[in-house]
Amino acid sequence: MSLREADLKVNQEPACTTNSLSLSNYFANDHPDENKWADCVHCGMCLESCPTYEQTGQEQHSPRGRVYLIKSVAEGKLTLNEQFMDPVFQCLDCRACTTACPASVDVGGLIEEARGQIRQAMPLTGAKKAVSKLFLEGLFPHQNRLNSLGSLLKFYQKSGIQKAVRKTGLINIMPKHLVEMESIMPEINTPVRKKYKNENVIKAKGETKNEVAFLTGCVMDVMFSDINESTINVLTRNGNDVVIPKNQTCCGALHVHAGDRETGRKLAKQNIEAFKDSETIVVNAAGCGCMLKEYAELFKDEPEWKAKAEEFSEKVEDISKYLHDTGYEKPKAELNTRITYHDACHLAHGQGIRQEPRDLLLNIPGVEMVHMPNADRCCGSAGIYNITNPEMAGAVLESKMENVPDDVEMISMGNPGCMLQMAIGVQKHGRNQKIVHTVQLLDWAYQKEDQQKGGE
Amino acid sequence: MAFKTLKTKLLKTNDKHIKNLASIVGGPSSILYHKEDLLAYDCDGFTIHKHLPKAVVFPKNTEEVAELVKYCNENDLPFLARGAGTGLSGGAIPINGEVIISLVKMKRLLSVDLENRRAVVEPGFINLKLTNSIADKGYYYAPDPSSQYCCTIGGNVAENAGGAHCLKYGVTTNHILGLEVVLPNGEIIEIGNNGICDMPGYDLIGLLTGSEGTLGIVTKITVRILKNPQAKKTVLAYFDKVADGSQAVSDIISAGIVPAALEMMDKIAIEGVEAAAFPVGHPKDIEAFLLIEVDGIAAGIDEQINEILEVCKKRNVKEVKVARDEQESARWWANRKTGFGAMGAISPDYLVQDGVIPRSKLPEVLNKINQISKEYGLRIANIFHAGDGNLHPLILFDARVPGETEKALLAGSACLKVCADVGGTITGEHGVGIEKMEEMRFVFTEEEIQAQTNIREVFNPKNLLNAGKLFPSPSRCVEIKTDIKMNKEKEKAL
Repeated sequence: MSLREADLKVNQEPACTTNSLSLSNYFANDHPDENKWADCVHCGMCLESCPTYEQTGQEQHSPRGRVYLIKSVAEGKLTLNEQFMDPVFQCLDCRACTTACPASVDVGGLIEEARGQIRQAMPLTGAKKAVSKLFLEGLFPHQNRLNSLGSLLKFYQKSGIQKAVRKTGLINIMPKHLVEMESIMPEINTPVRKKYKNENVIKAKGETKNEVAFLTGCVMDVMFSDINESTINVLTRNGNDVVIPKNQTCCGALHVHAGDRETGRKLAKQNIEAFKDSETIVVNAAGCGCMLKEYAELFKDEPEWKAKAEEFSEKVEDISKYLHDTGYEKPKAELNTRITYHDACHLAHGQGIRQEPRDLLLNIPGVEMVHMPNADRCCGSAGIYNITNPEMAGAVLESKMENVPDDVEMISMGNPGCMLQMAIGVQKHGRNQKIVHTVQLLDWAYQKEDQQKGGE
Repeated sequence: MAFKTLKTKLLKTNDKHIKNLASIVGGPSSILYHKEDLLAYDCDGFTIHKHLPKAVVFPKNTEEVAELVKYCNENDLPFLARGAGTGLSGGAIPINGEVIISLVKMKRLLSVDLENRRAVVEPGFINLKLTNSIADKGYYYAPDPSSQYCCTIGGNVAENAGGAHCLKYGVTTNHILGLEVVLPNGEIIEIGNNGICDMPGYDLIGLLTGSEGTLGIVTKITVRILKNPQAKKTVLAYFDKVADGSQAVSDIISAGIVPAALEMMDKIAIEGVEAAAFPVGHPKDIEAFLLIEVDGIAAGIDEQINEILEVCKKRNVKEVKVARDEQESARWWANRKTGFGAMGAISPDYLVQDGVIPRSKLPEVLNKINQISKEYGLRIANIFHAGDGNLHPLILFDARVPGETEKALLAGSACLKVCADVGGTITGEHGVGIEKMEEMRFVFTEEEIQAQTNIREVFNPKNLLNAGKLFPSPSRCVEIKTDIKMNKEKEKAL
């Protein structure tokens, strides 16, 4: 018996699920939802949609296989052990299977619940625990620490250290996938939360039509503050007053993906409170948007919070869908560029938003859109999957890059994780496309229009 | 959390067979033997019988398959081949604890020869991918089982798969020009000569296709590909009465029209697809709809459509419409083709049957199926390849309720009895597998079954390859039958 299994025995509470006759090996609280797997009839229509099945050909790494294993723990056929952990944690949680599934089985939800159970049974130890604690508990939920890190990275880039580290080869002391990541690190600018910290409302240009609250995201605001800036520009230009609630925090998606549902709940509660006075909550990161829309999933055992979460989720909308639904001014300046569009999993599969961002791009004069085959196939980023599972993430990325058309100048998308991963893809595969957020292109078109007006 | 599967991991076993099998396929990353991994292979699309395999191996080429087969044969290890595992009759379930030879890594499209309209694929190549790979040149692969998004052509050969468009174009066997097969002793043979299937002598391709993995393992397949029809139109017709709908089916065929597809779904089936992921907004109050597609050279398509519309009107159609464009017809087809899986939206489990009946008997058969549904207290949906009389009753049940699985099996068997009794048969395209072995007796005598078992013995003398499937062995089926009977009697007694 391995050490882990011994731990498991100690941690194991008396078996209990919804069914009192059950032989379930799950903990009583927040276990995978029986109704979710009851929808699966094992037909296999999900197989080809799954990036990890495509790579491995192994059914325990396929959606229906994972659902079957998760069900098997509830039936007492399996225990929460390492061998079960492998397929559950190898899942990208990309949700492509739910799109492919005739019965829309919520595989992603089951995976997240199962991860919560695994983390309860087998808490992380040693280096993995340290890394996970550092990022998930010590960093993402703390905006001030993220800002400090951002300043540090900015210093790293601007002071010449970055150049020196790269030139001297000192960089190669890091694992290869982290080197790849360092090399595509975007230029760090001032986070919008810092920039607008003294403004209660960023006023609409012209007449105010709506007021929206903006979730700036944790990593997004440090690494991609220019996208947040663009989002604010686009919103205010279209008659929206923008509020950035002060007490907002990380959405918790990364925690929930990693099985840390407890922290996920804490962050969710904080955000629900922070945004309680807002009518509309706009998000520009697909992963965050999807998480915010699924907060209720975290509160199965807390009905009061579940109700609050449901009310909260109703108010959340992705920036592309929000602009599409409320109307926006079509830019008049031409951008003259050939682009392609990548569907972020948590936008297309998670939120069903496919056409709105494409329409937004197509409405910019001079933008020519080239179709990318399998545009809604995962790029391998999947939150921090590319850090925890670099080999699989790399294989999934390679398969993605094969579909990127040769003759485009930019790849547009709606999620920061994808942007980093696709940037690695572009660099690693000797391509030269610029990676942009959909809302940036719109902002640039507006800016160009203003410049042309100014020049007249 | 680190990623392990693609990297070589060490074998943690003392089982010499696992070690030897692993060395044939190039190491530990190409074999599964832990219970947690094997569990995902204890059944296929037929989930009622389950058994763990001894191991799952992933060969990369014909030679590895042959080596694996030789090893199993020499060491008396039962074995079977598996593709995507979407079969609906249990053909890939390792009921004897088999070594599963998974062919999913052999998934290349080896060659396309447009001039002679043929392509060569490995067995793990996905059905729809073939059409997608040649669509831009104006060609396609005709057999289109509803699982075509994910099922393998190797599996299609084993089961002689059909599909919605088989009414006009025939089933898998009509599209196979050549096979490379590993026989149960490990010998590699080729049948069909370089894509010319019509060789003198016995029709071995015909024998192998649909043999449900009991005669050999197919490792290379030469298939026929077809030029896309010049034009295509799709009709959707709603009926208040099933009898009217089925009469319309007979009328269309009698009028001399051969539609590419002629499908029917009944009320419960419609409830399922409308509750699922690809609804199209079918009305809730109809008893059945027909989905009809005609294709061919452009001239004449409109006449055929008009004739079909006339027939439908004559048979009291409630509403009938022609798809406005490709997108609309694609939505109708997605709704139809995900019909089985859609049952998950209205029932935790289902058992699908695959009877074939003379078209004219449809109203009578549906009535009887309705009675069976009442008798067993289980809802039954019907999805029907109406044009060729291939009926799919979907028996909805909940395996978590004690006794329901047995009831579903008995209800399924009763449906097949009805089909056989009206002059039909027990399977059109899903195969016999383990599911319908017993029902083989509805259509064959003991002698006829024995004669076919004798053929199997010529190829598979030790019966190590996929044993206990397709034909009932006298003792086994009596046992199961008694079991089920006893259960039924017990229930009655209660």
